[in-house]
Amino acid sequence: MPDMNIASHCTRLQCQAGRAEKIALRWVDADFQPTDYTFADLERESNRCANAFAGLGFGKGTRFFIYLPAQPEVYFAFLGILKLQAIAGMLFSNFGKQAVQDRLADAGAQVLITKQGLLRRIRDILPELPVLQTILVTDLEEDEDQRIRSYPKLLAGQSTAFTVEPTAPETPSVLHYTSGSTGKPKGVLHIHGGLPHQQMTVREILQLAEDDIYWCTADHGWVTGTTYGITAPWSLGHTMVHFGGNFNTENWFRLLQEQRITVWYTAPTALRMLMREEDKIKGQFDLSALKRMYSVGEPLNPEIIQWVRRTLDKDIYDTWFQTETGGHMIVNRPGMPVRPGSMGKPVRGTAAAVAVDGVIAEQPETVGALWLRKGWDSMFVEYLNMPDAYRSKFHGDWYDTGDLAKIDSDGYFWFIGRNDDVINPSGHLVGPFEVESALLEMPEIVDVAVIGAPDPLLYEKIVAYITLKEGAVWDRKLELRCRIHITNRISPIAVPGEYIVRDRLPKNRSGKIMRRVLKAEYLGQDVGDISTLED
Amino acid sequence: MDVLQGLTEVFRMVFEDDSIELTRAMTADDYDGWDSMSHVTLLMAVEDHFGVTFEDWEVMNLPDVGALADLVQKKL
Repeated sequence: MPDMNIASHCTRLQCQAGRAEKIALRWVDADFQPTDYTFADLERESNRCANAFAGLGFGKGTRFFIYLPAQPEVYFAFLGILKLQAIAGMLFSNFGKQAVQDRLADAGAQVLITKQGLLRRIRDILPELPVLQTILVTDLEEDEDQRIRSYPKLLAGQSTAFTVEPTAPETPSVLHYTSGSTGKPKGVLHIHGGLPHQQMTVREILQLAEDDIYWCTADHGWVTGTTYGITAPWSLGHTMVHFGGNFNTENWFRLLQEQRITVWYTAPTALRMLMREEDKIKGQFDLSALKRMYSVGEPLNPEIIQWVRRTLDKDIYDTWFQTETGGHMIVNRPGMPVRPGSMGKPVRGTAAAVAVDGVIAEQPETVGALWLRKGWDSMFVEYLNMPDAYRSKFHGDWYDTGDLAKIDSDGYFWFIGRNDDVINPSGHLVGPFEVESALLEMPEIVDVAVIGAPDPLLYEKIVAYITLKEGAVWDRKLELRCRIHITNRISPIAVPGEYIVRDRLPKNRSGKIMRRVLKAEYLGQDVGDISTLED
Repeated sequence: MDVLQGLTEVFRMVFEDDSIELTRAMTADDYDGWDSMSHVTLLMAVEDHFGVTFEDWEVMNLPDVGALADLVQKKL
């Protein structure tokens, strides 16, 4: 059986292929101090982690979670977890306590790797997580108790040799959570056998060459950050830059210039923010090393493509995929004429179609549900603990993406919108249920419905319709309290940008709030069939 | 009014963290959770606390807490 272990492909196999001394990771901290790690370093450091985890009694199938901002420990621990054939759950470091609790509890997390600044946020939820045995803290010098342990102390003295057991393709690997229209986020489980598809897309879409220096700005808490920010490029021996600083126009361009980045993978919202500060960058930075750019997370509007061409003199290619697909599905790429605003065409080996009422449409330009024929390597294997939700995503041989699209007569796909209530601010999917639940915790609010609405910067913003308790007054102070509550409870990404107070919210006769009615009203569209509306 | 002390109170409230001790040199990179996404809420809280109003261009690229404190001081 060929060893499908993703981490082995990222480390040992690269060393065996003659890349032991090639730089795998150039870590640039917030002060722009670079530290290089070769593929041999990756092998050693991930082995130390694997040995440390195994020494605590953890092994195949253990559910680890990494709750850290970008820092080298993330990548070493991630690869160490995979070497152990344990499951690496990835959390965005900006998640608030409820978001973390929901994910750890649902997954039955046994180990959490974090830092003191983030542990502070979630200390009071730890009693709610009895299965969580061990918390490894990257900046703790001494163990706090049997549960909260010093990670550096644990790693000290660990062997840098570790033998990875042969790993079957169907072995679970990475766990990300994604939002849906209803209920809490769903755990999307991937397997080691997903790697070949991801590698194919690095070769054919990103088209990384041996000497490229590649930067993916996505956080490892999202699927792009793991697939295209860790596993797929390293499994093919490519050099990646990771940056420890926050988003800032000058900082990003300084990084591009100083590190001689050749291929840059980022997101439309970031580019729109850069566009607003064009004066600060135009002609100020040497981007001669940069060959091309890619975009992911939201539709890449034609204005950005034109701006990138005009201001940076580069081409940019939009890519589309989902947490569930694990890798690129529909893309633009060098060598294929780009139709600005289009998602592009399916990657090799992927069949995509548009379906209306469960039937695949034959006519070009038909708007319908975007379906993918199942069976590609990197397809998710389950929604954790939600088999019915998993099954509901499939229609025979087809996976329903939840997106709406159309296909033109030349086979280019065009994104229309979501087919559900999920909101996409800045490329991060937010489920309305999480936001509504948090707002309902405010004593002044008795009813709430959250919708997504177009936004010129974020692509979509969250709009909250609320009904106040009798006597309560909506003012700036209450808005601020709502914003702070959601920031700390869920994430700053989930904070509504607009609040609309209503005496009552439209509900059907079962009492379910009809978000689509509010959305239509907000957008000035026909509200459609309202026969089920209460009164 | 001690602006830095006032800002410390605001940061503690917004991030629900009473351990925060601001210094003028502190930047968003020094505190987990202070980033471009939480920045809007933070500024809104600063405006409320000090009774000032910021223009977008004034706060787009504040390099550190000291710059924010100076901006607040100028408007008081």
